[in-house]
Amino acid sequence: MMMIDRRLIGEVDWILLGLILLQSLVGVFFIYSSTNFLPGAYHVRQLIWIGVSLVALLLVLAVDYKFFVSLSGYFYGLMVILLAMTLVFARLVAGTKSWITLGLMQLQPSELAKIVMILVFARLFAEYKSAYLTTQHTLGALLVAGVPLLLIIAQPDLGTAMTFLAIIGGAFILAGLRKKAIVLLVLAALAIGVGGWTIALKDYQKKRVTTLINPAGDPRGSGYQVIQSKIAIGSGGFAGKGFQKGTQSQLRFLPARHTDFIFSVIGEETGFLGVFVVILLYFALLARMFLSVAKARDRAGVYIIFTASLLIAFQFLVNILMIIGLFPVVGITLPFLSYGGSSLLASYVACGLVLNVKMRRFANV
Amino acid sequence: MPENRIYEDLSLVQRRANTVFWIVAAMIFLALSYYWKVQILEHKKYQGLAEANRTRMRVLPAPRGLIRDRKGGILADNRASFKVSLVRENVKDEASSHAAICRLLGIDEPTLRGRIDLHKDLQPFEPIIIADGLGPDDVAPIESRRLELPELIVESEPQRFYPGGGLAAHVLGYLQEQTPEEVLARPNRKVRPGEMVGKTGVEREYNDVLRGDDGKVYEVVDSLGRVHGTTAATQNPVQGGDIVLTIDRDLQAEAERSLEGREGVVVALDPGTGRVLALASSPTYDPNRFITRFTPKEWIALMSDPDSPLENRAIRGLYAPGSIFKLVMSMGGLSSGMITESTTFYCSGSIQIYGAIRHCWFAPGHGAMDLSDAIKNSCNIYFYTLGRRMGIDTIAQAASLLGLGRKTGVDLVGEKEGLVPSEGWKMKTLKTPWYPGETISVAIGQGQLQVTPMQIAAMTAMIAERGKRFRPHLIGGALEPPAVAEELPASGTMPRFTPAEYEGVIAGMWRSVNEGGTGQGAKVADFDACGKTGSTQTMSRESAERLKRAGREVKTHSWFSGFAPRVNPKIVVTVLVEFGGGGGATAAPVAGRLFDLYKKDLATKLETTK
Repeated sequence: MMMIDRRLIGEVDWILLGLILLQSLVGVFFIYSSTNFLPGAYHVRQLIWIGVSLVALLLVLAVDYKFFVSLSGYFYGLMVILLAMTLVFARLVAGTKSWITLGLMQLQPSELAKIVMILVFARLFAEYKSAYLTTQHTLGALLVAGVPLLLIIAQPDLGTAMTFLAIIGGAFILAGLRKKAIVLLVLAALAIGVGGWTIALKDYQKKRVTTLINPAGDPRGSGYQVIQSKIAIGSGGFAGKGFQKGTQSQLRFLPARHTDFIFSVIGEETGFLGVFVVILLYFALLARMFLSVAKARDRAGVYIIFTASLLIAFQFLVNILMIIGLFPVVGITLPFLSYGGSSLLASYVACGLVLNVKMRRFANV
Repeated sequence: MPENRIYEDLSLVQRRANTVFWIVAAMIFLALSYYWKVQILEHKKYQGLAEANRTRMRVLPAPRGLIRDRKGGILADNRASFKVSLVRENVKDEASSHAAICRLLGIDEPTLRGRIDLHKDLQPFEPIIIADGLGPDDVAPIESRRLELPELIVESEPQRFYPGGGLAAHVLGYLQEQTPEEVLARPNRKVRPGEMVGKTGVEREYNDVLRGDDGKVYEVVDSLGRVHGTTAATQNPVQGGDIVLTIDRDLQAEAERSLEGREGVVVALDPGTGRVLALASSPTYDPNRFITRFTPKEWIALMSDPDSPLENRAIRGLYAPGSIFKLVMSMGGLSSGMITESTTFYCSGSIQIYGAIRHCWFAPGHGAMDLSDAIKNSCNIYFYTLGRRMGIDTIAQAASLLGLGRKTGVDLVGEKEGLVPSEGWKMKTLKTPWYPGETISVAIGQGQLQVTPMQIAAMTAMIAERGKRFRPHLIGGALEPPAVAEELPASGTMPRFTPAEYEGVIAGMWRSVNEGGTGQGAKVADFDACGKTGSTQTMSRESAERLKRAGREVKTHSWFSGFAPRVNPKIVVTVLVEFGGGGGATAAPVAGRLFDLYKKDLATKLETTK
């Protein structure tokens, strides 16, 4: 381990860091708007979490990402053990076993597992230099990713499992998939999908998928969230109802206002204008992250930047499509804006890794 | 490039990463355009949905109009009460919620279930009334548990209150909750489910006047139904219109007092206008007990009571008129020319007609009787003989000319028509010819004849007014119809009765009360009452005599109907006491008391106007 070099501070992408902090503060505003009438000072807690996450991001910057990649095997082992323990010991929160208590903080190990997977894939594909993946390599990577994925599905945390699949798929695309492999993977995914639907999926999860097709079929049950969220967004109009003036969120028709549905609050209270600004900021953030691949000095760096960016992009897209009824309600938060420590920490650490790669683009050999 | 040694060629993966980014960018753009569609193009639709979401219309029930008697005394009032409603949507756990509600309201689970099932077709967010008629102390424990029981709503509601208890209960009627089926059956009426509406009596007849217009308030509610203020458009309720009845509280009270403990009817009319001054039907009930929506036990008890206290006997009780019918016989006899006032028949106590021996009620016989003697003494032999002369169809025509066999048209729902038999009627309904012997029974008001006390009162009023007939009515004040004499339709070939014919009958009625006739119990000094008694056999003569031999007394229904004074009549009183015995002994004194009371009332009024 080495301390941060003075020279390196000048290489930090301050614009990207600024965009992250800006998004987080926008989130705090609307967390405040939707929870100020509840006890618990959610906005203050979110601010504390932003502070904690920022410290974590800076700590990640201090260490060369190559070192993290070299340790990824240990991280992987730890992660599998943690996920297995979670499954056994975690208390039930909202019907899923995804939370463990670490002292004062509650953590979702599955959130941190995403970070570990970024490093593991960087390690797996760093030395892989041919244009396309071989069957052997594909199966190996699937095996490595499959163990934590199954543990997460068992919790069951459908949202995180989907995010996992997105990272795996992204890594494969980057490594190069032949047409034959794509067909095989699609077939495998279909088989798993159909099998999972009939065997593994809980009734409430099935309902969420059928509700996507017909939300009015169950307006008081699982369709309720989507209907109320869509009403909130649609009634916001062009300029919105004003800060803290959203009837849907203030009168609590909107479920999970400060977590998964924070963007609905923004849509209701600031209208299309606010939606446009936040999506534009997000676009800038994602562009800056994705396009950093050009600055990576090695293959591991490219994989880290790409999978981390894809992680944020996937959650963002699924969330904004889910709350407006274009995707099933799967419990995926909006990175940086939604209330919640684990998700915030994971997003910050993922961005920390991107910044890390970017600022060490010149090999210091 | 020299750096190629240090930096590997990453262009392929970087190109792929860029491609994925642009796919992501395209999806962001598509998402944004969908937001445009929802927020800009479909804004109106979602704005409407958001409004409907957060506002809830609550009905502010209008207090019903007051009902007063002719002197201004309040017969039906309103008082403040509370009702508790359940919003099923907000029930978290049905079992524990129902248990808590039953404990707080002191009702049992089946009752609560029954209420909810009755209104199960309402939307889950629409409140179902589960308790009403509550005082502030009853609802305090619920108010204090507001947060634990978001499914309960406590609202105030004006409740009907009858200060006189059972006073004029059959006139006023009672309220009952409008059931969802009734609302569906008549969808264009503005009555809402759960509203208390008049079921009988004046409350029903004038429900549209009394109900007023409900107000509306649009409340802003949250997803738990908690109220966060109201929107501007509050519509205040408008109290229903007051109603003044023609009922005289004092006469009514006296009429009810005199029937206490008996089954019977007292009707008092103002013959010159048709105003109903008193209408008592006994046994009675306290309508205050039905004002709540939940008194099934008492309700069922009243419904199944063999004495049917809920029935208004004055308009729905069918009785044989007995000797009262001799007034019809007399009018018909004079009009058809079968007798004159001075025609005399001899009563020996019994007579053989159509091969059967018939008796007078006075076994020794009345001797020679002219018309007024016969009315005064209610001689059966006289009217047997007259009946044989007239025949059933002439009798039926006379009865019809006096309004029997048809509704009087009093403003109360459910009035019965009664029955005046005739040859045609019997052939049509019973498919057998008329036997002359039956005419003899009808001649003294028995047989198949059926009348309501209201019909007898209206007929008496018509006699008192010497042929002018005014429709009996309860509505007074501004809503009272103008006093225009009614023309009953012509009946067969019989011409309308002449004033002279009326005077002939009235002479007999006057003597009945004032010269020691059967109606002398109704005599009031200086009030010149005229009347006729009746005692109606409630079973055939044969079975009555059999019971009498067995030592059991069979009482007849006791009638009196009369008016006072003889000239310029002011009041008609008709009394019927079921199983009251002789009309002279039981019914006439009741009428006498009412005559006396009304006479004093007129005197004080005269005093005050002077």
